[in-house]
Amino acid sequence: MKPKFWTILSLLVVLSTLVACVAPAAMPAPAQPAAQAPEATKVPAAAAPAESWFATAAKNASCVGKTIRGVAESTPPSRYAADPIAKEFAKETGINVEFETTSWDQMYDKEIKDMEANTGLYDFVYIEQDIVYAYLARNFLVDVTQALKDKPDLHFAGYDPAKFTTFINNYKDPKSGDVMSVPMESFVKPYIYRKDLFDDPAIKAAFEKAAGYPLAPATTFKQYEDIAKFFTQWGKDNKMELWGSTVQGTTGHPASFYEYYETIAPSFGVYNWGINKDNWKACVKNGGQMNSDRAKEALTFWTGMLKYAPPESTSSTWDEVAATMAAGRAAQGWVYGENTGWIARDATKSKVVGKIGVALPPTYQGVIDDAKAGKGYIGYYDGGAYGIPVGSKNKDCALLWLQYYAQEKFQADWAVAGSRIILKSTYDEPKVQELDKITNGYFTLQKDQGYLFAGAPAFPFHATIREVITPFIWKTLMGEMKVSDALDKACEATEAELVKLGYGK
Amino acid sequence: MGWGLIAPTLIVLAIIGLIPFFYVIYIGFFDWNIFSAKAGMVFVGVNNYRRLVFDEDFLRALWRTLQFMFWAVGSEFVLGYLLAQTLVRDFRGKAFFRTVHALPLMIAPIAIGATWRLLTIPGFGPIPYYLSKWFGIDYNIGRFASHASLTVVLMDIWHWTPFVTLCLLAGLTSLPKEPLEQALVDGANRWQVFRYITLPAIMPVVLTTFFIRVMDALRVVDEIWMLTGGGPGDTTRYIGLHIWRIVFPKTDYGYGSAMSLLTLYFTIVLCWMVFTAIMSRGQETS
Repeated sequence: MKPKFWTILSLLVVLSTLVACVAPAAMPAPAQPAAQAPEATKVPAAAAPAESWFATAAKNASCVGKTIRGVAESTPPSRYAADPIAKEFAKETGINVEFETTSWDQMYDKEIKDMEANTGLYDFVYIEQDIVYAYLARNFLVDVTQALKDKPDLHFAGYDPAKFTTFINNYKDPKSGDVMSVPMESFVKPYIYRKDLFDDPAIKAAFEKAAGYPLAPATTFKQYEDIAKFFTQWGKDNKMELWGSTVQGTTGHPASFYEYYETIAPSFGVYNWGINKDNWKACVKNGGQMNSDRAKEALTFWTGMLKYAPPESTSSTWDEVAATMAAGRAAQGWVYGENTGWIARDATKSKVVGKIGVALPPTYQGVIDDAKAGKGYIGYYDGGAYGIPVGSKNKDCALLWLQYYAQEKFQADWAVAGSRIILKSTYDEPKVQELDKITNGYFTLQKDQGYLFAGAPAFPFHATIREVITPFIWKTLMGEMKVSDALDKACEATEAELVKLGYGK
Repeated sequence: MGWGLIAPTLIVLAIIGLIPFFYVIYIGFFDWNIFSAKAGMVFVGVNNYRRLVFDEDFLRALWRTLQFMFWAVGSEFVLGYLLAQTLVRDFRGKAFFRTVHALPLMIAPIAIGATWRLLTIPGFGPIPYYLSKWFGIDYNIGRFASHASLTVVLMDIWHWTPFVTLCLLAGLTSLPKEPLEQALVDGANRWQVFRYITLPAIMPVVLTTFFIRVMDALRVVDEIWMLTGGGPGDTTRYIGLHIWRIVFPKTDYGYGSAMSLLTLYFTIVLCWMVFTAIMSRGQETS
């Protein structure tokens, strides 16, 4: 009885294993219904021929069958790079891409450790614009221009830095002008407002009655505050989950530092975090601006917006701010542009599809003139690139990947998925222009007025100083410190840390 | 032969335990920030340790950690003992309750933090929603220090009380019944039975469990990082999280290493005190 039982069981196991192995080939998975396939994840129709340039280059560089590993923040653009572009790359070249998309903190944690220890764990890493100067100072990155010069066989003819928007300049070595990383996203942080509410005749009339002037996207901080106050009250009166403004005011994450120093302070005319780049001083008495009257006015305005912001604001990073806007909980706010596309068109995630408008953020008098003259900027121009750590063991294969995703054929769908642009030609793509209409002009704003925005200042000590200043911003948001005291102490702490780091005396 | 058999374990321990430990000691004598203008490591002797003694942020983080440990571990022991006493008795659905109540132990700390974040996030979480709707309480862990502190303690209690319960339950079920019955016959009340018979008998289990929980509470990072990120401000920035922020986001490796070592020393002292208590108790018993 027993031997018979075991024989039958063994046969069943063998048979089931065989069926499991054969099944995928014998029974293809049913095709996904077209209606359910999100447009953003469609692979471009121009699928690669069997022996494309990249396939040949991969063979010649002995990359076929190899795996390159990368790490990036889990954002819409990076997720699109992982799927479908990386998968398409693997299919075309035989180079597998192991793509780790994780949180912003974890990403930096991992890649900095990898590059500092020179372990060669990653073959490409995500580099946000604000950290690139620190990486360049530490010689963490492979010089892409030089590497392609050294190995012309790996230089794809379609890859040309001149095709990129001016954002690529952030990733050039200031000394040699060489490209050190290849951009994969760039976007501005505009003012986003609820167009449906702003166009509502009843709301317009009520606002004009309350404020004494017509309702329109704010161009001054007084207007911004009036609008915030009005919609917060409107939400209460009409029992709506609606507030007047977003605030990226987390009290446990550096995101609040970034909203103040890269969005609010510049729009008040306080640039470069208030640090004087000539002498590395931050306090007014030493030539800095961090605790200037204007900086204090900016911080007072911004923390004051918490009164008109939804309760999640003190826990909100950039992701939660986008979620707040998409949930229809705020009438206006500063939202990272990479989210504009999905907020405006993705009904599975957003309650405000087709209902948002974009505009330049409100500014202090004279700030736009400063920006036009190249003396300042009105807000944040963010973006990222993939670069190759010098410790990478698959540099040639990673070089192919960097040029692969920068091809024009991917850009339109990628822009739709992640509201990001890296090539100048992408602005003219029909799909991008269509999304531009849905977002009421986001891409037009980035194209025509993007030059008014700027990335983070070129500080090699970015993360260290951020960690010094951020606790003061948190305490101000909590109401534990007065704005004036917080900025006075922040500038002193900044100066002390800069001296410790070897900047200034 | 014996050394040969344990050699693989010793080698692994040396690689993953001793080498990093000595490396941290070494780094602690240097000023080393990778984004400093002064490239590389600069020898500063014991200066990092001297700075630590006067570092208010570090001392505050240490003090907050002790407070967290006191409230969390203390509450877990009270609740854990009451639950263990309940589970000693027979009642309908006991097996089901015992299984369900131990489920938090099987969840990864990072998932616990994420779950509590979803429960308590202002504006979206059900806890602030219902507290506001039913009691008019403006519960906001991103804004109010007391709310955040209370929430992290509650999360830790939720996570670790089952562990204490199971340990104490094991102790209670192993007790002989005769002394308890004799005490009751002699007229002892429930408090006297607990104070003079049950507690001394399960004291080794209590101390061992306490020892484990104290160590866990002193090195808590992942749950808190997920729930509050150490905020609001530095309200829940306990020592583990504080060291993480100094070493990784701030990239101040030398100072962070010194901080780690001093914290380790502090932890060892606490361990030694608990260990001494366990040993002296064992000697008294023998």
